[in-house]
Order: sequence, then structure tokens, then C-alpha cells
Amino acid sequence: MKIWKMTLTGALSIGLLAACGGGNDDADTNEGGGNNADGNAENSEAEASEVSGEITVWGWNVAAASMELAVEQFQEEYPDVDVVVEDIGREDLYDRLTVGLASGGSGLPDVTMIETDRLDNYFAEFPDGFVNLSEYGFDEYEGEFPEAKAEAMKDADGNFLAAPWDIGPAGVFYHVPHFEEAGVDPDSIETWDDYIEAGEQIQEATGAQMAPIDISSDDALFRMMMNQLGTYYFDEDGNIDIDSDEAQQALAKIQEMREADLIANVDGWDGTVTATINHQVATVPFGVWYAGTIMDQAPEQEGEWDVFKLPAFDGDGNRDANLGGSDLSVLSHTENPDAAYAFVEYFTTDVDAQMVALEEYGLFPSLTAAYDEPFFEEEDEFFNNSPIWSTFAEVAEGTLPANYTSDYARALRYSADAQAEALLSGGEVQDALGEAAGRIENETGRERAN
Amino acid sequence: MTDKKKTSVIIRKILLYITLGIGVILSIFPFYWMFIGATNPSGAIFSVPPNLLPGDFLVENFTNLNENVGIIRVLMNSLIIALTFTFFAVLIAAAAGFAFAKYQFKGRNAIFFTLLLAIMIPYHVTLIPLFQMMADLGWLNTYRAVLLPNLAYPFAIFLMRQNMRSIPNSLLEAARVDGAGEFKIFFQIVLPTMRPALAAVAIFLFMFQWNNFLWPLVVLGDSDMYTLPVALSSLVGMSRVDYGQIMMGTTLSVLPIMIFFLLLQRQFISGILGGSVKE
Repeated sequence: MKIWKMTLTGALSIGLLAACGGGNDDADTNEGGGNNADGNAENSEAEASEVSGEITVWGWNVAAASMELAVEQFQEEYPDVDVVVEDIGREDLYDRLTVGLASGGSGLPDVTMIETDRLDNYFAEFPDGFVNLSEYGFDEYEGEFPEAKAEAMKDADGNFLAAPWDIGPAGVFYHVPHFEEAGVDPDSIETWDDYIEAGEQIQEATGAQMAPIDISSDDALFRMMMNQLGTYYFDEDGNIDIDSDEAQQALAKIQEMREADLIANVDGWDGTVTATINHQVATVPFGVWYAGTIMDQAPEQEGEWDVFKLPAFDGDGNRDANLGGSDLSVLSHTENPDAAYAFVEYFTTDVDAQMVALEEYGLFPSLTAAYDEPFFEEEDEFFNNSPIWSTFAEVAEGTLPANYTSDYARALRYSADAQAEALLSGGEVQDALGEAAGRIENETGRERAN
Repeated sequence: MTDKKKTSVIIRKILLYITLGIGVILSIFPFYWMFIGATNPSGAIFSVPPNLLPGDFLVENFTNLNENVGIIRVLMNSLIIALTFTFFAVLIAAAAGFAFAKYQFKGRNAIFFTLLLAIMIPYHVTLIPLFQMMADLGWLNTYRAVLLPNLAYPFAIFLMRQNMRSIPNSLLEAARVDGAGEFKIFFQIVLPTMRPALAAVAIFLFMFQWNNFLWPLVVLGDSDMYTLPVALSSLVGMSRVDYGQIMMGTTLSVLPIMIFFLLLQRQFISGILGGSVKE
């Protein structure tokens, strides 16, 4: 397994490098695919019954399964369109997508899933690779998604190159028995200072720490906090903003937790899950999708988990943030853009399709109309009979936009380095983030905002 | 005196067996852990302290795995690809190695040197051009797209050439005097004497193709055509991974290699050492 993982990461980065070099050839080798898409734009109003053909869709496990479930309904509206959903591993999908786009569209599907934070990178590397959904009229749905999500779908000119699907509103998953044992009322935790105080109390009573972080390689908590404070690696103009006052405030708060011995330094994803289900930590601040992970890996802990919103930085500060999410794009070499668009439009804007994905596989919709469904008022038995889904829906609607940019992956690496510097080596937050900003500047040539 | 010697021999033996025993445990434990994972539900792999006893989830994991990736079909793909590849690649490596070792021809060293250089090219560099070539030929999603690009495997040719050098020239000359043609010499004299080396190269190439991941991933788009590593990797989504199924699949993927190796291990070891010493 390990060796595969290594080859994969290697291959992906090399693939992207090679892609940079060969970027200019894309348009020539495209064999007319791109033109096809533009030319057919006027047909977007065509009657559903006139759209026909077979399309292939890529997605990874539960996402692929939930699209599969939607096909039947889709075909009631579009009886002549056949949809083949291919279930591909997440990293594998990116490897194949990158190789396919770099070689001009060979072997690619008509529609693919891409995570929101990777979109800008693909749009920048392969500007001719994606069908402009705005030309097919996707703009009319803009208001049906949270603004932060919709903005992330667009290229520099404001065109939709992807349709929003799932979203990762953040919250703090907490283990109820630990809170009861320590006598801590989760509702009383409104600020990160309250959280630290509660953490000290819980640790004294139960020995458990508060949050698992893979300190030297993942900065998820830092990103959620930055998002809360309305900042991110880059500002809205794409300038490097990782050393903003707000980002410093966020990292300093995590450093404070670490100094109070509330952070468990875990090893990667497996370490996070191990710490969670064995109660080395009493809480896990993460995106909504972590609910599925806990249910899968610890089914016997039903009723022991619950969720509260991320604590704020000030008394009435913002408690909403997002972590993760994915989207559907139509690839421009497709021979059947009308059918491909029809599927994307149906799947991302149909409340029923989105609710099936949520109820069966825990994929949280970004389509806000879905939040009115009765499911969101339901009390979830696994989660202490709390209406956690409506909590997450509130978070989704209040989340501020984040500008991921095409240099997201590079920034993430330096940000994790800065986190390690501040948490493991006891460095000053200001210096660590300033250094990260300098390195990102060197590597990307972007301006610094501070 | 002899008693003392005896005890020292016994002590030495005990130490030796303890050391070997530790080695055995270290090398077998990962396989055991994999087997434990394959017989337990997914979450069990995370328990602290680790659960070291087999569970009763074997059948369920297999059923789930088969439902998800069609494991029988996938195993067949892997076997067909790996065996076909091994057969032809060994033949090509042996023939090329023989030519490099025993024939004098113009540019022999230049060609051999170029071949050695090819070993040093990281495969990532050739990935996209090669993929493009397969796409232009219309070969995506076929066995031949996986098989052909690696069929002349430089390292295997190099290994065969080193081994072929130990064949005495006089033997070949004697055969020629007796009227044997070059093909007859190759198939009836050279290959039988090279059996250990052939087995070593065969194991090496079989393992290479059996474990080969990135190239099959990229050229085999249809899940019906997946090889085992590609199919297993498709089980890893984002936040939801069924480790029971993955361990089940990994167990299945290790078995053929183990069988192949156990059958040929004697040849494997003597083959790797062959050619290293001139006798």
C-alpha cells in the first residue's frame, strides 16, 4: 500500500509538471472537442427528449454510488441518455484526469468529479479542458447555492466551469460520555478560549486530549479557523495572505492549545481515525463528512457522538467554516456535451438526487433548497438524537468565501511547515507564517498582501 | 574440554535461532496483520491495543469486495497479463542477452550502452507520451497496451547478458561444427543451461507486472479490465474506506506471488548470484 501511495504522489506531481511543459499543445491536440462544446451552446434549450447518447461519469466510492442511484430518475426526464458511472479511487482519478488532459483528452470521461480546492489548479493548467457551463445556462442556478461555494466554481472571467455538488460545513464532533464525565456542558463552549478551558477540564477528568492534528502535514484546523475569520492562504485578488493578522490569530490559538497539551499529534488519516474511535481525543473539529467515517469505523459507538459548531474567536464572532467538498465538470473533449450537461444540471440542482446522496451516503448537498427537506429536522440516533444536519446546514449557508487559487497545493505544504514550526519547535507564529509567505512568494511569483 | 566446546556450540545455536526467530516474526507479522484485517470488520484495524485474533468477517469482506470490484474477473486480468508478459519478456530478454553476450556485431557496445541508459529514465517522463501513443493507436483499454511497452525490459536484458557471458564459447563452436543452426543452439543448448537465470528473471518480471500500478491505471479505463492493484486502489475514496475489503484484496494479491516464489525460489537465489563469480 505504502509503495503505491508513494508512486501515486510522485506520479501526480510529475504529471502536473509534465502538464506544465506540454500545456501549449493542448489546444492543437484537442481534435475539435473544444469547438464542439462551444458550437452546441445554442442547443442548450433543446427539448429533453432530443438529447441522447451515452455518457461516462467518474467519481470515487460513495460519490460514484450516489450518482449511480440518481441515474434512474434522470432517465425519466432524459430517456435516451445512457449514463455509465465509473468508480475510481480518489487519487487515481486525479492521476488519470491529469494524464488524459495533458495528452489532449484521450481516455477521459464526459463528466468528472473534482474537489473544490483543486478546481482552480485544473482550470489554470488546462484552460481548454473544461466546458463553460455558463454558456449552457448554469448561471440561472447561481442563487441556489451558498455564495462561497458558487464563487469557487468560476474561472477568472466569472464563468461556471464546474457545478457545485457537496460541501463540507465544519463542526466539532465530540464524544458525549467524556463531556458528561468531566461535567462540561457543550453548549457553554462559545469561543476557542471556552474550548481550551473545557479541554483542560476534560483532560483532568478523563485523560483525553481535545483535537487530533497531523502537525507536520495537515493544517485542516488552521484552514477552518482562517475561513472563520474571513481569510485564507490567498486573498480575493490572489495575493499571498497567509501571514495576515487573522491567520496569525488562528495559528496562535492552535499553538496555545498545543502548549496546554490539548493537541494529539497523530500520524495521517489513519492516526486521526484511531485517535477518534479509541477516545484519545474527546473532540474532532472537521467537515461534515467525518460523520460518515465515524459511523463506518465505529458503528458500536452509536449515540455517543454529537456535534457543536466551531467556537468563535470573540463572543459573537463567526462560527461558520467549510472544509472540503466536490463538484462536477464537463470535459471539453466530450462528443456529447448536451447529454453531459443535462446530467450535471439534473444531478446538482435536483433536490431528490441530492437528498438520496445525503441520506444514503452522507454527502452533504450545497443546493440550499434541499435544506428545507424534513430530513434536516430529524434527530439522528447515531449522533445523540441531535438534529446535526440542520446545524451543518446553518454553517453551510453562513460560510465566507475562500480563494483557493491554482497554487493551493503549494501553499498547503508551506502552511503545514509553518504549523510544525509553531507547534513542534516552539517558533513564533508571526515568523513561521512570514517565512511560509516568503516561500510561497518564491515558488509562485505571487505578490504578498502584507 | 569437549563438554565446554559442546556447550559453546549449543549457546551459539540458541543465539542463532533466537536471531532467526526474530527475523521470521518481523517478516511474517505484516502478512499476519493483513490476514487479521481481512477477517475483521473495517473499524477493528484501528483498535488500541491492536486486535491480533482472526475475526469472522472473512466471507463478508470477500462478498463485499467481489460486489465492488468483481474480484474474479480482476484476478483473471492480472493473471493473464502477468503470465503472458512474463513468458514473452523472458524470451526477448534471453534472446537479446544472448546476442549481446555472444555475437560480435557493429555497434554492439553502443546499443548496449543505450539500453543501460534507458534503465535510468524515470518512467514518469515517458508516461504521457506513451499514453498519447496508445491513444493514437486506439489501444486504450486493451491488454496489449499494458503488455507491449515494457516487453523489452532493459534490466532483464542486462541480467541475461551477464549470465550468458559465462557460457563457454567452445561449447557454441562445437555445436556449430556439428551443424546446429543458431536457433537450435539458442533453444536447445543455451536456454537449458540458463534455467536458474531464466527463473530469476521470470520471477522478477512476474512481480514487476503483477504489482505494476500506474501504467495499467492510466491505460485501462474500464473497470472490467482492471488489474488487482488498480482495482484495490479504487476502493480508497476520501473519508470513507473499508479496510476489511482492502486487506482481503491485498491478501488475495499476495498469494500468487508467494506461490510463484516458493515454486522457483531455489532457482531464484542461484540465478541472482549466477554470473557474479567467474569459475
